[in-house]
Amino acid sequence: MSLLQATEIAKRYGGLAALADVDLSVGEAEFVAVIGPNGAGKSTLLNVLTGLALPDKGRALLDGWDMTRAATHKRVRGGLGRTFQHGRPFERLSVLENVMTGAAIQSGRSELELRERAMAVLDQMGLAAEAQLPIGSLSYGHRRMVEMCRALACEPRVLLLDEPAAGLNSAEVDQLVDRLTDLRTKHRIAIVLIEHNMGMVMRLAERIIVLNFGCKIAEGTPSEIQSDPAVLSAYLGEGYRHAGV
Amino acid sequence: MSIRVPLLVGAVILIAGLTLSMLLTDYHLRLLNLAALSAIAVIGLNFAFGYAGLISLGHAAFVGAGAYGVALLTTLFAWSPWLALPAAVAGTAVLAMLIGVPLLRLKGHYLALATLGFNVSFSIVAANWIEVTGGTNGISRIPELQIAGHALTDERSYLWFALLVLAVSAAVAALIHGSRHGRAMIAVRDDETASSMTGIDVPRVKLAAFVLSSVYAAVAGGLFAFHMRFISPEDFGYAHSITYLAMLVVGGEGSIVGAILGALLVTFLPEWLRFLGSAYLAFFGLFVLAILIFLPSGLAGIRRPRSFRRHGLMKWPALVAASKEARP
Repeated sequence: MSLLQATEIAKRYGGLAALADVDLSVGEAEFVAVIGPNGAGKSTLLNVLTGLALPDKGRALLDGWDMTRAATHKRVRGGLGRTFQHGRPFERLSVLENVMTGAAIQSGRSELELRERAMAVLDQMGLAAEAQLPIGSLSYGHRRMVEMCRALACEPRVLLLDEPAAGLNSAEVDQLVDRLTDLRTKHRIAIVLIEHNMGMVMRLAERIIVLNFGCKIAEGTPSEIQSDPAVLSAYLGEGYRHAGV
Repeated sequence: MSIRVPLLVGAVILIAGLTLSMLLTDYHLRLLNLAALSAIAVIGLNFAFGYAGLISLGHAAFVGAGAYGVALLTTLFAWSPWLALPAAVAGTAVLAMLIGVPLLRLKGHYLALATLGFNVSFSIVAANWIEVTGGTNGISRIPELQIAGHALTDERSYLWFALLVLAVSAAVAALIHGSRHGRAMIAVRDDETASSMTGIDVPRVKLAAFVLSSVYAAVAGGLFAFHMRFISPEDFGYAHSITYLAMLVVGGEGSIVGAILGALLVTFLPEWLRFLGSAYLAFFGLFVLAILIFLPSGLAGIRRPRSFRRHGLMKWPALVAASKEARP
């Protein structure tokens, strides 16, 4: 039984089928990547999974719990975490306070405990030195890391990441890859990654799902996807195999 | 946040207020009393507007609910003032919850208009339900508060009591600000979607901020009734809601110290500028505009830049630089 299971998810916006009968299943501590051209429905899929958009059809289960119509905060309390495409930390709170809002997911924790948990997450992600700073003083890359720390402080079992590498330089991407690997291996967190950086996707993902015009056109291991003719023509490009990324 | 900040805020209010109460004339003590009661209401409004970003133009109606609550319970039912006050505050909280559930589904300007409508309705009911509220004649003969046999009838002793309540209100507000609940309210104003994605129940946090703000308003209203010992609908018209909002904006939204400074300044400004006559309102409009342009985070925002805040003492050039930095 998989941890996160979405079946036959369909979502239309007006005349546009943003998602048409898409299935997704993620096992415990599994790393799944969702790729596809812009407008393929990747972010809509995350919105449906997190309850920011309700599907027209289909069901979403989190560890057996039918969360298809549940409010977003209930899904988060059930173990679902997410970061946004451009990073959305709380601007009027400090770095530490941002992460403390996440740690408050369990009621009954003292302020001291919230602080300690938040510091532990910041430490783990390499942001401890910046704990007291206002969000506005951080670089773009670090703002996005704060958002990821906040999501981790909610103690997710499945983490949905929407283009976490966008806007990061190559050193930052390498760091991100190491940290995501740690999350999966040491903390047993399952990860669903939406990403255009194919180098990163191929290094991390155990399984890749390819969307195009709202439909799943392929699913498989990185090497299967890289040689799938439908994927090459829709997204990766015919030259991809020879570029040796 | 440690317990030190709330204690400090409370202590400063008490010491400054007690010193002033020894120096001022009766008339100015009366104004200071009104400023202290307004400050309690504005600290409340700060929860809804300053933290959670709910634009409420109905705050004066909650002040009125508290005031009419104690006035009716003490005059009609002859309750003890000390019993009437918590009962009126609790009643106002229930009222805020009942109207908050439908109203808080609205956002931004729509919420502002709906709360304004609530305030206008309150005034109409208070002015026309003559058997209960006495209509525009209001309610008189509200009993005075007594502490250990000493009646709080003169301005000075009432001020001491009001300052004590203000100090406690400010300290409690500072505690909430530094808690998970305060952070949740601020998070909701910053980004509702990201808040729900952090496990925050957004509608519930909004309702909590709204009800909390009404509780502070009701305390201020109840104390206003015991201070004036006469209330009428015009004390709680929507213009007063706008004044509370102006106090918060001038003082600095999102800041408890700002709420108190704003209440003080906006209460005393008409006195200092009495020579302007009816031109005062025009001046006040320009004054608020100037605050919005040059000090968008209000009087409290003068100390906002962190480099200055940390070193405590501030010199005049730093003050000027800070005001420049605070500009958008």
